[in-house]
Amino acid sequence: MDTINSSIPWSLIMPIIVLQLILAVVGLVSLYKAEAIRGPKWLWVIIILCGNILGSVAYFIIGRKDAS
Amino acid sequence: MRQFLLFFRKEMLEMGRSFKWLWVPLVFLMLGIMQPVVTRFMPVILESSGNMPKGMTITIDPPSGMEVMAQTLGQFNSVGLMILVLSIMTLISGERQSGVSQMIFAKPVSYLSYAAAKWAIMLSLVTASFVLGYAGAWYYTVQMIGSVETAAALKAALLYMLWLWFTGSLTLFMSSLMNSAAGIAFVSLGAAILLSMASTWLPRYAYSPGFLPEISVQWLQASEKPTGDLGAAILCLMCMIFFFMIAAYQVKIRKSNV
Amino acid sequence: MTRTLLQVRDLSKRFREREVVKGITFSIAEGSCAALLGPNGAGKTTTIRMLTGLLQPSGGSIKLLINGSPTTDRRPYIGFLPQMPVFYPWMTGAEFLLYAGELAGLTNREAKRETGEWLEAVGLRDEGKRRIGGYSGGMKQRLGLAQALIHRPKLLILDEPVSALDPTGRKDVLTLLQRIRRETTVLFSTHVLHDAEEICDEILMIRSGAIALQGSLEHVRRTHSEPVIRLEVGEDEASRSWLTAACSKNFVIHSEVSGRRAKLRVENVEQASLALMADAASRRIMIRSLEAGRSTLEDLFLKVVQS
Repeated sequence: MDTINSSIPWSLIMPIIVLQLILAVVGLVSLYKAEAIRGPKWLWVIIILCGNILGSVAYFIIGRKDAS
Repeated sequence: MRQFLLFFRKEMLEMGRSFKWLWVPLVFLMLGIMQPVVTRFMPVILESSGNMPKGMTITIDPPSGMEVMAQTLGQFNSVGLMILVLSIMTLISGERQSGVSQMIFAKPVSYLSYAAAKWAIMLSLVTASFVLGYAGAWYYTVQMIGSVETAAALKAALLYMLWLWFTGSLTLFMSSLMNSAAGIAFVSLGAAILLSMASTWLPRYAYSPGFLPEISVQWLQASEKPTGDLGAAILCLMCMIFFFMIAAYQVKIRKSNV
Repeated sequence: MTRTLLQVRDLSKRFREREVVKGITFSIAEGSCAALLGPNGAGKTTTIRMLTGLLQPSGGSIKLLINGSPTTDRRPYIGFLPQMPVFYPWMTGAEFLLYAGELAGLTNREAKRETGEWLEAVGLRDEGKRRIGGYSGGMKQRLGLAQALIHRPKLLILDEPVSALDPTGRKDVLTLLQRIRRETTVLFSTHVLHDAEEICDEILMIRSGAIALQGSLEHVRRTHSEPVIRLEVGEDEASRSWLTAACSKNFVIHSEVSGRRAKLRVENVEQASLALMADAASRRIMIRSLEAGRSTLEDLFLKVVQS
């Protein structure tokens, strides 16, 4: 494992993790502020937290109701 | 022109408030970065998964930088294309369906400005997302895999962006014709996939916008440089203008639905 | 002297085989308030959408006369509030008004000033900074009025402005309309006669796409009201059969009976009521109530709608 760890350029991997975090946080903030969404909020919280980027993307595409 | 700016400003605001300006470019950036990263660590991942018979070594030829860039375009052409279509599909149909368009079009507004603002916002979103994603892929490929030939990569990017513009225009065109969001997404994605698949069956002299992704991949990979890019690009631009004109006309004759 | 503002001739609309509006002709004088009155499905919304330019008529002409001459583009002079208006839920009320004002051709500065004024006028001064997504139906209706009026149109067209509101919201909007109609010519559609009577001076009754009746409220009231007697008797069998018998007396022109109540149209109210009372007394029938009067607009409306 040591060889793997040392061979991973963490400075390049970190941005990916940060990006995922940003997407998840933005998704959660938008969910918190949203007045109308499809489906229960708690379900979307789980999806956003567990679904990596796909979870957040799914929320933005399916969960948000843009027109009222 | 004044009305175009008013409409465009409203579209910008809407895309900002619905977080589209954030998540669509971010998803493209992720798509772009992931390909070189996954490629780089594939041997490590396979090794550590550990279900190899003892003594067997895997020899994967490490792909070149250009190959990884080509694979990234492949990612854009599946997940990226879907994200793109889904994020803009209701741009025209949504307002007609909800009924806001009744109030807008009862005012002395220009339909051409209205449609032009829709096109402008679509092109902005597509361009920003693609440029960000491609730049990310380029940087990571150079850092982790190997060198990328600048001229070829730029040319490939330009041709591929045209293809995304075409798909975006097609989606807006469908959005002006149809009401159901699912229908718009299905037809637009279906047509785009069919067009790009058809490029492998069609003879080379048939210029189709569907050739564009194929041609840009070839610019990155093939030893001999592809032909027919100019024809496909011109036809693509002509299709976009055609889609725009029809959509503007549709907006004029179908001002609302309710 | 009043000038004509809107002149509609033989206006018709056909959706495939179905003719929804069948050649209606009317005109609206400058400064008046007209109600387009009719039951649901009579063609009110279709007519209104043709007037605003949202729908292309199949036939006929619509002329908006500005300073006596017809305009080619009516839209700058018309303010329109659709039935149950929809906005962008992500915009604030003030942002929407500003947007609507600028789209209607006001400069940014004018639009800003008008936005402030109209938010105040429709009672949304504080709510103007909030997102429309959180507005109630009544607030949306008032915001809708503001966006229709922001460019000071000559003609304000409203589609069922109070039908979907609760009593408070309805009262708010009607009060606003009372004020607006002093400055602007108003045309609004409704299926509730009461709303029309409250603020209008002209009515246009339409039924299945054709005009059934039109004129000033006073004129219609005068020419179409008829002498009527309303009778109510007791629950018992004898009273009821007397009521039925009373309907076939020779002085009764037309009658409607429902349970122990009856409405009788007669030639002469005084003679008829005396005769009815005498008859009832001689048969020892209790008359609970007898009202001698004239038919109301409500009766006329029901007659027009049902016939």
